[in-house]
Amino acid sequence: MRDLEAIERAVQERFPDVASDIARGELTLFAAPEQVVDLLRFCRDDAALACDYLADLGGVHWPAGEHVLERQPSTTGWPEYRVSRERGVVEINYILRSTSRNHWFRVSVATDDEDARLPSVTSLWATADFLEREAYDFFGVRFEGHPNLLRILMPDDWVGHPHRKDYPLGGVDVTYHNEKFIPPPDERDLRREVADR
Amino acid sequence: MSTVEHGRTAASPDFSGDLFVTGADWETVEDAVGDNVITVNMGPQHPSTHGVLRLILQLEGETVLSVQPIIGYLHTGIEKNAEFRTWVQGVTFFTRMDYLAPLFNELAYCLAVERLLGIEAPERAQTVRVILTEFNRIASHLVWLATGGMELGAISMMIYGFRERERILDLFESQTGLRMNHAYIRPGGLAADVTDDFIERCESLLQVLPDKMGEYEDLLLKNPIWLERTKGVGILTTEDARNFGVTGPLARAAGLAFDLRKAQPYCGIDQFDFDVPTESAGDSYARFLVRLEEMRQSLRIIRQALDVLPDGPTMVADPHIRWPAQLALGPDGLGNSPEYIRHIMGESMEALINHFKLVTQGFTVPVGQVYEAVESPRGELGYAVVSDGTNRPYRVHVRDPSFVNLQATDHMAGGHTVSDVIAVVASLDPVMGGVDR
Repeated sequence: MRDLEAIERAVQERFPDVASDIARGELTLFAAPEQVVDLLRFCRDDAALACDYLADLGGVHWPAGEHVLERQPSTTGWPEYRVSRERGVVEINYILRSTSRNHWFRVSVATDDEDARLPSVTSLWATADFLEREAYDFFGVRFEGHPNLLRILMPDDWVGHPHRKDYPLGGVDVTYHNEKFIPPPDERDLRREVADR
Repeated sequence: MSTVEHGRTAASPDFSGDLFVTGADWETVEDAVGDNVITVNMGPQHPSTHGVLRLILQLEGETVLSVQPIIGYLHTGIEKNAEFRTWVQGVTFFTRMDYLAPLFNELAYCLAVERLLGIEAPERAQTVRVILTEFNRIASHLVWLATGGMELGAISMMIYGFRERERILDLFESQTGLRMNHAYIRPGGLAADVTDDFIERCESLLQVLPDKMGEYEDLLLKNPIWLERTKGVGILTTEDARNFGVTGPLARAAGLAFDLRKAQPYCGIDQFDFDVPTESAGDSYARFLVRLEEMRQSLRIIRQALDVLPDGPTMVADPHIRWPAQLALGPDGLGNSPEYIRHIMGESMEALINHFKLVTQGFTVPVGQVYEAVESPRGELGYAVVSDGTNRPYRVHVRDPSFVNLQATDHMAGGHTVSDVIAVVASLDPVMGGVDR
């Protein structure tokens, strides 16, 4: 039914520099931003791949620098998770599905989070319209060639892209260690707070 | 800064300097009344838009030139919230997305987490999941039939649809403690085993529902108003469905026999015998027929699942994953059972510590990412879950079928009259809780 190695071979025959990974029964192809449109068009039009559906398009932000992912009070003995990265990226995962061949796989593209840009794939599937707008809204990825790249879920005048890991969550620092104090609503100006940081 | 071209603001976003973001706001529509074209704002508060959906219609007389759906009024940041909660707490959030199909949200999320953990729920839990989600599909389709019927003038259909849905919600309440937002399916199995009278309750529903479905058919199948309003309205071809990413009953009504229950079976649903109904017309009436038949097929699945419902545990045995409390059904939902409270508070200090650590910190999930999709009443409901190895999700992206399907509104309603827009949106069956998340 699903032969992930065959898909992998078919794509790499045409795009030799595309890295791939099979884990947990899922195939992921890692493409460069400039080849993503060609790659997705190939996956859609190739008879063996026949990916007629763009099932999903979603982002993940991996910021640069050292981060404590998880901080617990020291008394619990729970470890602190730290991670350090050279380059901050926003990863966009395209899930391609073929209804005729009954397979699916993921195409993963990383773009620099400082200047996140990717070519739009709205010309290949109209599905990408809302999904790219969502990724723009949440991660600030500018999809070049998108006909109507506006915010979709957040309010139109919102500042910042809330799903980025460097997006502050609101509240103001107070003198207590590791604590936040949330001011009452009439004293709150979170948008300015966000813009000033 | 913008001109109106077929209802879309033609302004390209300004990427220089600070991000300047503008929306499809009313102010940017420069001339509400053009030469022959009128721009009409429909919603967000409109009884036929299933919540808070806003449509900007470009009309020439009665004819719709374009429909631009504006969404986001119900956005509550569930995906972001989940990043600050443990893996188990995520269930409580995701069940609130598509509130007409809460069990499907729980199921898809839990299957994703289970695959990351490399575990599988026990067989009894799997079968109960199938039974409850198929009942959920019927309940969701009944709401669609009820509200869709009401919007197109079949007012009595609304009363009948909600009446039967109530019986299914009673079943859910008897098992999960809640009528909606159950948080009953958990990573590793179920929150609690089903009650002793579970099979009886299901059986009594199975006796009632087929007759009722016959009633709906009698009411609508040859109803001239219903036919007039739905036949030939909002046509979507197979090619359009592929292009717009439309899945579920809409794609099947367009002749695409694709169902994730057949294509990528989950929870052992492939052991049951059922058909995937398809139609070729691709209009609103075809969707009505498909959904009606889907309800019957769901009953078939439930019938078979009840016969093979195995005994055994409903949660994995791993004490690092399973919820430590033995939950009991009380008048206000699932809660810790009195015996368990007595045990941790009065008998065993270690049990209390274990309970505290597992409940507050949860379990860690290995690094990786998965995409898990189930066939929800509205189509492919996908969860793309990324774990960084901690006790919280790093990122959960939800591919909600209503969100994707909504893009086809313009294509389906263009060229029809304003009243047909109602029929098109009704046949799409969008749930705004899922669209806006």
